[in-house]
Amino acid sequence: MAEQYTLRIPAKLEGMDLILAFVSLLLDTNGCSTKARTQLRMAVEEIYVNQTLYAYPSGDGWAEMQGSVENDVATFTLIDGGTPFDPLAKADPDITLSGEARGIGGLGIYMVKTMVDELEYEYRDGCNRLMMRRRLHEEP
Amino acid sequence: MTLTTEKNGTQLTVHLSGELNTLTAPELTALLDKELGGVKALTLDFTECDYVSSAGLRVLLATFKQMKAVGGDMKLSNVGENFQDVLKNTGLDAVFGV
Repeated sequence: MAEQYTLRIPAKLEGMDLILAFVSLLLDTNGCSTKARTQLRMAVEEIYVNQTLYAYPSGDGWAEMQGSVENDVATFTLIDGGTPFDPLAKADPDITLSGEARGIGGLGIYMVKTMVDELEYEYRDGCNRLMMRRRLHEEP
Repeated sequence: MTLTTEKNGTQLTVHLSGELNTLTAPELTALLDKELGGVKALTLDFTECDYVSSAGLRVLLATFKQMKAVGGDMKLSNVGENFQDVLKNTGLDAVFGV
């Protein structure tokens, strides 16, 4: 079983750099490809930002990041104790619209779906848990 | 993120260096708010920026609409592999013509 590392911080936007440093460190010590590193960092950014925006509408709270690497696959789980909220439930945006016809937002979660191999939301023991999994290298 | 600009009449080029993410996107917005008046041709040079999250895309789309509204044009140049993937996956490659 792979060793699991955990980082728990206040759920604030300013904590994003810390969360991404944690992700980078874990990936770099496991020889991750540049592409997978960028995509995992971006996916984590989108989920973490979402957490800080929606998990605790009435005040402060915590966010936890769990990470592990096993068999060239990274697993990251972002957890918070806030309002139950499934970010994956939202309908995907229409990406065929012209620039003029589009809204300017709503792409974050959709981007995450395109960048990782597995994505799963669960509300368990009073916590939101968003798990993502991606290979560290592309198939040859 | 470091942003440098070159202005030539109604043409503005912004060179981005670093990551265009949730924390840095407001820097680009602030710069464009300051520099975009009277500009008809905007070029954003991504030679040294290959990380653009949805917060960055939001600024690009808002700026694109702003430029179109005044009959201007916005171009992305030197787009790297990761940013190209993001543009392709979101259908914005067709919008921005890259």
